[in-house]
Amino acid sequence: MTKPPEILPSSIPVPAGLVQTSAYAWFYLRTLFEKVPGTRYIVSYVKKSHQDDPYRTMVEIVLIIYGIVYFLGKPRKKGVVVPGSGLSAREVEALLEEWEPEPLVERVPDDQKWRLNALPRVVGGGIVNQVRLARGATGNTSDENGADHVTFNCASHNALQLTQHPEVVAVAEETIRRYGVGACGPAGFYGNQDVHSRLEYDMARFFGTESAVLYGQDFCVAPSVVPAFTKRGDVIVADDQVNVSLQNALQLSRSTVYYFKHNDMDSLEELLIHLQERELQENLPALPRKFIVTEGLFHRLGDIAPLPDLVRLKNKYRYRLFVDETFSIGVLGATGRGVTEHFNMARSSSIDITTGSLATAMGSSGGFVLGDDIMSKHQRIGSFAYCYSASLPSYTVAAVSKVIELLENGNDAVAKLHALSDKLHVFFSQDKALSKYIQVTSDPASYILHFRLTPEFRLQKFNSSEEQIFQERAILQKKGISEKHVEAYELEDRFLQCIVDTALHDSNVYICRSTYIYKHETLPIVPSIKICCNATMSEKELLDACNAVKQAVLKNCV
Amino acid sequence: MSSVSNTKVPLISPEEVSIEDKKANEFGPLTSKEYLHQVHSRNGKGLGEPILDAPPYYVSVITYLNYLILIILGNIHDFLGMTFQKDRHPDIVEKDGIAPWYSKFESFFVRRMKKRIDDCFSRPTTGVPGRFIRCIDRISHDLNEYFTYPGTSTMCLNLSSYNYLGFAQSEGQCTDAALEAIKKYGINSGGPRAQIGTTDLHVATERYVADFVGKEDAMVFSMGYGTNANFFDAFLDSKCLVISDELNHASIRTGVRLSGAAVKVFKHNDMAALEKIIREQIVQGQPKSHRPWKKILICVEGLFSMEGTMCNLPEIIELKKKYKCYLFVDEAHSIGAMGPKGRGVCDVFGVDPADIDILMGTFTKSFGAAGGYIAADKAMIDRLRLDVSTASYGEPMPVPVLAQIISSLRTITGELNPGEGQERLQRIAFNSRYLRLALQRLGFIVYGIADSPVVPMLLYAPSKMPAFSRMMLQRKIAVVVVSYPATPLIESRVRFCVSASLTKEDIDYLLRHVSEVGDKLFLKVSTGKAGGSLDGRPPRWDIEEVIKRTPADCKDDKYFMA
Repeated sequence: MTKPPEILPSSIPVPAGLVQTSAYAWFYLRTLFEKVPGTRYIVSYVKKSHQDDPYRTMVEIVLIIYGIVYFLGKPRKKGVVVPGSGLSAREVEALLEEWEPEPLVERVPDDQKWRLNALPRVVGGGIVNQVRLARGATGNTSDENGADHVTFNCASHNALQLTQHPEVVAVAEETIRRYGVGACGPAGFYGNQDVHSRLEYDMARFFGTESAVLYGQDFCVAPSVVPAFTKRGDVIVADDQVNVSLQNALQLSRSTVYYFKHNDMDSLEELLIHLQERELQENLPALPRKFIVTEGLFHRLGDIAPLPDLVRLKNKYRYRLFVDETFSIGVLGATGRGVTEHFNMARSSSIDITTGSLATAMGSSGGFVLGDDIMSKHQRIGSFAYCYSASLPSYTVAAVSKVIELLENGNDAVAKLHALSDKLHVFFSQDKALSKYIQVTSDPASYILHFRLTPEFRLQKFNSSEEQIFQERAILQKKGISEKHVEAYELEDRFLQCIVDTALHDSNVYICRSTYIYKHETLPIVPSIKICCNATMSEKELLDACNAVKQAVLKNCV
Repeated sequence: MSSVSNTKVPLISPEEVSIEDKKANEFGPLTSKEYLHQVHSRNGKGLGEPILDAPPYYVSVITYLNYLILIILGNIHDFLGMTFQKDRHPDIVEKDGIAPWYSKFESFFVRRMKKRIDDCFSRPTTGVPGRFIRCIDRISHDLNEYFTYPGTSTMCLNLSSYNYLGFAQSEGQCTDAALEAIKKYGINSGGPRAQIGTTDLHVATERYVADFVGKEDAMVFSMGYGTNANFFDAFLDSKCLVISDELNHASIRTGVRLSGAAVKVFKHNDMAALEKIIREQIVQGQPKSHRPWKKILICVEGLFSMEGTMCNLPEIIELKKKYKCYLFVDEAHSIGAMGPKGRGVCDVFGVDPADIDILMGTFTKSFGAAGGYIAADKAMIDRLRLDVSTASYGEPMPVPVLAQIISSLRTITGELNPGEGQERLQRIAFNSRYLRLALQRLGFIVYGIADSPVVPMLLYAPSKMPAFSRMMLQRKIAVVVVSYPATPLIESRVRFCVSASLTKEDIDYLLRHVSEVGDKLFLKVSTGKAGGSLDGRPPRWDIEEVIKRTPADCKDDKYFMA
């Protein structure tokens, strides 16, 4: 072994032992290092670079040290306490012991019990125009008096009532005899039967689109379709009065959502121009997908979206148009083909995605999406509610096929419905006595008449206003409180329930409060009442019911 | 039936068969009392450590190579297509300033990989999905670009439908009940439950369901997926935490996302990981603010549909009690099909349903109906009746479906046709155990626990999926193949869904063909450590030996590992 070299001049007074140890360490490390193959080149490189630029070596050493420190320090995220760090085992146990969760679900407080007791229950038969009605969710807590007499039902969403047609019922029975009830599988795995495919063809033909896709439940359609086509960075422009299903869809979409004023095309255009300018400035790498989202016949208000203007704007600014037609399918247009027919437009060239329900005017069960082939095809792979859910029972789809056949063969249900809904609208919107207390928000073509209290009456009765309710609500939302209720809203809702109850008790007419769930509604809302007509009512029946409702309103308001 | 080729799925007219044959085609008559097995409760005993068999390394390597080749070919395909045939790719090309529906990258897997095997998915069917299923024949064109339908159909042995107890029938008490319900109630829908959608049949169903699962009250919904997807937002918010098994169904994940609650995921069935997360989260509280969580909800499934494994319920309940968490169990696949009385996981483990806060399940599977339910304490359900959005905005459950549910439930409990429900339960238990043990003895890798009616058999390489599915279809057996993203990337599998409607001979037929195809496709790669081996060596039994010995052996728990 060679003698270790001296690395420090002897003039500096350093303890000999230290010099020697470090010298040995240096020597051995170096010999060890040189034994590793290839290190020669590293040494010569470092030597050369040190010769050329000594500062560089220093910088590199600092960098390496920083790298090591950074690498070792990485797991310790800033601001997050590492479990156990700083806490002794006993402290952890104490924390575990101390934690008391809130109840999983709050009990219904006494002042909310009326909502439970108001839940209607049809006894001894199907949901048709003449029903026996009991109240309360399960039968124990209810008042059964209603079940004694026949009530006239003005709450059904089933506008055409064609599922009562003997031919449709016969088809349903026949299908159960051939297919059983359940489909027992998702569409992707043997769940789609020939009747499902046929209904998709029937719907596509009837509504004039390339394809249709069926879903198991109407409420799930939009929250599944929208996220299937959007991701972060995509843009959605939505009406500020869309229903909860669409609100959920927007929440799940991950996209940037902007709202325009309800049915206000100037507000929409202003927004679109603004977004266009922004997009030009941002210079994005790829074009984002852009949607305008609205409803055909609004769930909350019953008015109709101005489709021609929406189509003009969407073409001008290169958006896709998404329309929820849950309430307008089978209702709007001379033959019930929806909002496009109402405005005499072709569906395939105006609306890109239509969603809707088979449980409203079609009277059966399930939901659907209409659109072009490419969109439908991707949906069958990307849309959760389609992929991960069993197909509809075969008899429900066969029944809808039959309903469509009846409509195509010129059934007069739609015409009858239009005549009735017009009468209904005229009765309530032109009544002088009522106009002091209530205002009608729905369109004459809507089979559901929506009315709410007038602002003056609200101020007089509850000393509140729409804006006040919104503000109180907004404050609660900001604090992240989801359980609390807004007092004024509660009172008003309960007042409307009194109107409903009066009509039921005094005249055996059942109308329905719009059952909004306040905590799910992310957009401003006020309580309202709905009166539905359908094609099997006679004019007299409807007008009698209208009179009964009028009396009930006056009795409570005056 | 026309022989003209058509690109649309044709309507197939029903077969002309006698009522007896039709009944037998929907629900095979029991051939011997030997082929029944009564499941016993585990009396609170949890599950042991799961043993997962792993394939030899070269199988994994081949699988990855397989994907690599597919990806390379797909990219070449994309490049050529986008260069020379732009008009054939309207779905990924920007048009008139409108972005494509899907970007090229997002849809790559679907366009270039799934599409190659599209003929194995979405096969149209007709008639009752019972013991046999009638698949409508179709001919694929241009690499599954489109199909034509000659108008014929093929009767296949049904290993694909979730028809666990065989209630998918068009004859018998359930069909009668459904038809009677139509007579009395019609098929008319009204509106949301809270407005006009409820009939006394809804109330009765909820009563039956609550009693069946052992809870105070229940709510029913018209769609299983929708039950979960619109449930959690009724009582969770961003100050709540959900601890979720990594393999939970998409509906749970969607529902929780909608609620805005924070989510922590634990490794499938790993109780230590679950406990660690619970402790950590209670100590740390909410991120940033470090306030304690308002409530912590553990979400698991009773029977995991892709794995055939069960949640380790007794241990989860112990943890839940120890740390004051709440527990949600999704029994979509286990209710009806599992347990001595068919009452799901609680029945299997012999635990008190009161220990679980929320029991959710579906009617699509064991009951041959559609829809889902939520069962819980009365106070909770009362609140949920007001707060679950589906009840106030969505459609109600259709009446004939309710009649099917009630009648099948009453059959299971023995109120209707005493003895029939018990026999169905014993048949599915026997069929599941027989198929599982036989496959293991043949040398296949099978996941899951002994009694699970879902029997996933591993294929690994993605190219074996279409091969297996097509060869089975040629042999008139309908099976489901699943791969990524429903499973881990390299664990493509075939999922046999066993039904009580199958006879022992049907399973023999299946086994012979699976064994033959398995030899051809080189699928018998198990080591035997997860079951099937008697001497510790890789089991490679002869098919005749398996069929001879397994029916008796499969009733004995010692042949199963879990």
